[in-house]
Amino acid sequence: MAKTIAIVEDDPDQRANYSDAITSKGYRVQAYKSREEALTGFDRDLPDLVILDIILGEEVDAGFQLCRDLLSRAPQLPVIFLTERINEIDKISGLRLGAWDYLPKPISLDYLAERISSLLRINQARQEQQGEHAANIRKVGDLTLDQDALLAAWKGKRIDLSGTEFRMLAKLVRNPGHAVNYETLMNATMQSLVTNNTINTHMRNIRKKIEKIDPEFAHIKSEYGFGYRWVE
Amino acid sequence: MKKWLARLRGPRIGTKLALLGSLLLIVPFFSYRQVIEMERLLLEGQRNTQLLKAKGIATLFNGRENLFNDLPVTTSEYEPLFVQPLAGAIRIDGRADDWGLDLSRSLMTFGSADGNQDADVRMVLGERKGQLYGFVRVIDDRRVFRDEKVLRLDKSDQLRISFIRNDGEDGRIAFVGSPQSALTGYAMDESWRFAAQAGTPEPRAQAAMVETADGLEFEFRLPLEMLGSQRHFGVSFVDVDDPDSREITRITHTLPTSDKAGFDLVVLQSPEVRRIVDGLGYAGARILVLDERGRVRAETGSTPVPDVAINPTSYRDRLRSLVDPVRPILHFITTGERYDAGAALFSKSEREAREVIESALQGKPIARRRVLSEEQTIIMAAHPITSSTGGIAGSVVIEENIDTIIDFQRSSLEQVVFVSVTSLLLMVLALIAYAARLAWRIRNLRREASKAIDVYGRLRTPSLRSEMAAGDEIGDLARSVSGMLSKLHQHNTFLENMPRTLRHEINNPLNILSTSLDNMSSELPGVAGSKYLDSARRGVLRIGSIVQNLADAANLDEALQSEEMEIIDIAELLQSYVANCSISHPQCTFVFKGPGCPVYAEAADYRIEQMMDKIIDNAIDFHRANSPIKVQLDMHRDSLQITVANRGPILSPKAERTLFDSMVSHRAQDNRLHFGLGLYVVRVIVEHHRGYVRAMNLVDGSGVAIMVQLPLAVMESASTEQPRVAAL
Repeated sequence: MAKTIAIVEDDPDQRANYSDAITSKGYRVQAYKSREEALTGFDRDLPDLVILDIILGEEVDAGFQLCRDLLSRAPQLPVIFLTERINEIDKISGLRLGAWDYLPKPISLDYLAERISSLLRINQARQEQQGEHAANIRKVGDLTLDQDALLAAWKGKRIDLSGTEFRMLAKLVRNPGHAVNYETLMNATMQSLVTNNTINTHMRNIRKKIEKIDPEFAHIKSEYGFGYRWVE
Repeated sequence: MKKWLARLRGPRIGTKLALLGSLLLIVPFFSYRQVIEMERLLLEGQRNTQLLKAKGIATLFNGRENLFNDLPVTTSEYEPLFVQPLAGAIRIDGRADDWGLDLSRSLMTFGSADGNQDADVRMVLGERKGQLYGFVRVIDDRRVFRDEKVLRLDKSDQLRISFIRNDGEDGRIAFVGSPQSALTGYAMDESWRFAAQAGTPEPRAQAAMVETADGLEFEFRLPLEMLGSQRHFGVSFVDVDDPDSREITRITHTLPTSDKAGFDLVVLQSPEVRRIVDGLGYAGARILVLDERGRVRAETGSTPVPDVAINPTSYRDRLRSLVDPVRPILHFITTGERYDAGAALFSKSEREAREVIESALQGKPIARRRVLSEEQTIIMAAHPITSSTGGIAGSVVIEENIDTIIDFQRSSLEQVVFVSVTSLLLMVLALIAYAARLAWRIRNLRREASKAIDVYGRLRTPSLRSEMAAGDEIGDLARSVSGMLSKLHQHNTFLENMPRTLRHEINNPLNILSTSLDNMSSELPGVAGSKYLDSARRGVLRIGSIVQNLADAANLDEALQSEEMEIIDIAELLQSYVANCSISHPQCTFVFKGPGCPVYAEAADYRIEQMMDKIIDNAIDFHRANSPIKVQLDMHRDSLQITVANRGPILSPKAERTLFDSMVSHRAQDNRLHFGLGLYVVRVIVEHHRGYVRAMNLVDGSGVAIMVQLPLAVMESASTEQPRVAAL
């Protein structure tokens, strides 16, 4: 059965474009233009994945509220924020609410579709993992990456990474000891507009999240003027 | 000259207030004038009153010249000896304390001109109940008293009295004796050698003698009836200085000179006139009635001597001692006349008194101020008495003490000076304090207002704090400046937020564009490979990146605040950075020159990296092909210096100044992706690290260097960090 993707976006053009693109990939699409409409829709039928804009009409953080509502109903529901609000603060709030990923506009629809399929796959993988199924697991020293379930662990402890962060970390450790340049890391974000600064911010967030588990962590090293390196 | 004028800005507020305050100096000026005027008015009133009184009294005597005609001889060949009426009983004891007279004024002087030589005589005569009293003060350096063994009576200091008896014969009485024994009066023979009546004393004449420090004092009494109706009378002092030879050294006569008759005339006051005048006397005034020759025929009252026993330490006296030196100056400034203290007038006093009397005797009423002593000033008013024939029969003189007026004037003057000086002082102090406070407030306001905007013209604070609550004009100024600042702040905030708002607003349509292009390429297969689609996508990306860059630069300050600073080795960072540059920019050569040791600074590493990115981008853009870009790290005592130098076009002076400002680009116009944000970002990062950046042309003019100075990290524990620092 085709998966249902919910899109909440107040701009009719963007909503139509997303719907068309996602429908053409074979998903069922529910498109809502406001929080109330979305809530009524979710009461009827919970989708498999939700794409949220943060500002809906006059409500500047309607997206956050929706996310909270949805996750209280279905904690495993993949939520992607898709917004022009890319300030640091918004990013943090979005992820703390339990969103899986956070994508800045303008977005490439190909990337979006890819993410949707990957997140759905991952969600499935996570659900299947309840039965101790370990299919695509990669270990680099103390770091464990479950590529299917998009789960990372350091010294056996789960690291709570966003999709983008996971992909960047995976890229970094693909060839341990070798420097990975900014461009490669940018590609890993699967976003269309990325600066060095964005990469730096993501890297710092990854470091911090691992340091929370292990304060001695020092495996991500800056290659100033070039990129990053995973040192053993 | 014009330049100088242009620089002239006028005095400071303090000076202006001080100048205005000096206007207060006219207060004592006018007060003093007022005091002087008031004094003049009071004196004038007093003078008129006294003159009126004199006139009133004179009216009583008008046409009654017969009252004055009781004197037997009215020719001027005799000298008059005026006799004071005495109020109380007199003891003949050689002392004048029971006379009730002001001796200093009533004593008549005989002998030498100044009256202070040996054997000079001062005398006062009094009359009471038909007795003539005399008090004589004699200066005698060597006193020789009577020797009882010597029979002759002219061999010692003695007082002789000559008169004409009722029978027309000459009467002679000598008072001889010593202070120890009472004086004895003898009627003498013609030669004044022996007693006339075989040594029997004259019982009606009594006398006493007291020895003083510089002479003798006699007091005598004899009945007036002894004198004839003519009342011819004379006193002489016989001075014997040699106790051995006992020869007469000098005789001082009250008698007139030889060309006049041998006697003085004892002038008694007319009892009739006195009776009239007695009832008119009042306190503080002396009334004299003079006959046409200016002889005092009646007198009543006295001018009281002011109470000089003022407590010398009293507040008023001390105040007076403060005021007295000021007065002449004040007087001169306000009236333009020289100030005449009473003492200066004193010498003129006697002559003036005569002038007043003479004027009255010539028929002209007059009133004049007379200074008797420093403590005593009187007004002397004289009015003529007309005789029945229309001539002048005499005059009435009223002397009245005006010390109350003088005193009033003095105390008001003191008050004026005191109040003026005190108020001036207070005013000046208040003005100084006010001016200082005002200047301080304005300075504060100016300082805060100029601090509100930094050297780059950025607003540091949206409002002022000082003076905002003040209700006066400075407060208004502060509020209006503050209002300006807050409006400016609003505008600035709007400008600052504009890139963010812009990105926000542009990103949505951009997203529509982008997603539409995506959909178009997937739905219309013909379009997918179109070069127009590609260029449309590139355009979308470019707009996105422009907006992104603008927003990043605008947010930089804010983003830096949340940055965590740690101590990092800048040398290592730069080394690796420059090495990586060669990989990222293979078309350029990079040269790094470091100090060869770690250089620690407190910094956010990838902000330094971002800063280097911008500087290196700039250097690459401007460098001459095939010339290396040099990166050098130097260490100074407490700072490190990063220099990035490239050969190429040099900076214009204007560019040097504005290179690091926002939205300033000195690139050629065709370079579309630059907004002058790069070096602005450098400056913001450097300043966030408490450093300093500047651009300069190389000394040889071959290119440009950008120098960043950052403070070195302060190592907390010297012992553990020593090895790292030791390498410096």
